[in-house]
Amino acid sequence: MDEMTEQEEWARMSPVERYIESGKLWAVYLSLGGSFDPQPDSQSPFDYPELERALPPDGRAGVYFVRRG
Amino acid sequence: MGGQACILYGAAEFSRDLDLLVGLDAGNVERLQEALRRLEAKVVFLPGLDVDALARGHACHFRCHAAGAEGLRIDVMAALRGCPDYEVLWRRKSVVRLPEIGEIGLLALADLVQAKKTQREKDWPMIRRLIEADFLQYRADPQADRIRFWLKECRTPEILVQLSTEHVGLYNEMAGQRPLLRHAREKDMDALESSLEEEEAREKENDREFWLPLKRELDEWRREYRNKKGDE
Repeated sequence: MDEMTEQEEWARMSPVERYIESGKLWAVYLSLGGSFDPQPDSQSPFDYPELERALPPDGRAGVYFVRRG
Repeated sequence: MGGQACILYGAAEFSRDLDLLVGLDAGNVERLQEALRRLEAKVVFLPGLDVDALARGHACHFRCHAAGAEGLRIDVMAALRGCPDYEVLWRRKSVVRLPEIGEIGLLALADLVQAKKTQREKDWPMIRRLIEADFLQYRADPQADRIRFWLKECRTPEILVQLSTEHVGLYNEMAGQRPLLRHAREKDMDALESSLEEEEAREKENDREFWLPLKRELDEWRREYRNKKGDE
């Protein structure tokens, strides 16, 4: 619980403040070519290829991890 | 009810889709159809908008094509494993007023936590964060019901130890319901962590069992659809 400063800050915002801040992330996400489609998840009951789409809505390459630290 | 609800409750920062829990009375289904029509939402997977399938626990998946919402994914459900009927969920929902949108109903936190107890690995850290966010917001002066809820659902060992030490009466009341609390009271962190893992594994198994007949049905629909497409 000591390392929760950022989490605590987020938790202490009002729902409306969080909604507004999260909305700002959408703009960034989309500008970077982020996709709305779910990532493959073999544990999901909806793990069907039909539910994934190769191209993001803007037609550009999506944002994916190339390496996880 | 999904990621967007987790944002509003303070557990998540971002979600890429919109998950809706809907009532299945005729008027509501009509309103849903009208909203989907305005969003130019197209079905992306079986079973389409099927009231009977929704009532059994299936989800209906859509992708929007209207200007301003292009590509947005909407998943609709009407029944959640381990949760009461929609009418009860609706009665005890939280309400948030959002700018430019108005009032929206959110699954009550306890129901959202229950709905997140799925077979998917990624839902479990979210449950942990939902309770942590609630704890961070209300820990200064919590009411007894809230402490009971934390003792019942919290997945953070340090918080469980703190709660069972500071609220012994409520701990005694809840320990029968959740035996792993005993490890928190004894500050046995190894035992507590492994009991939390066992608890998670049991719920994942329950969720897999719940989905087994639904998955069979989905696979069957998918096969029929492919055969039909092949015949065309």
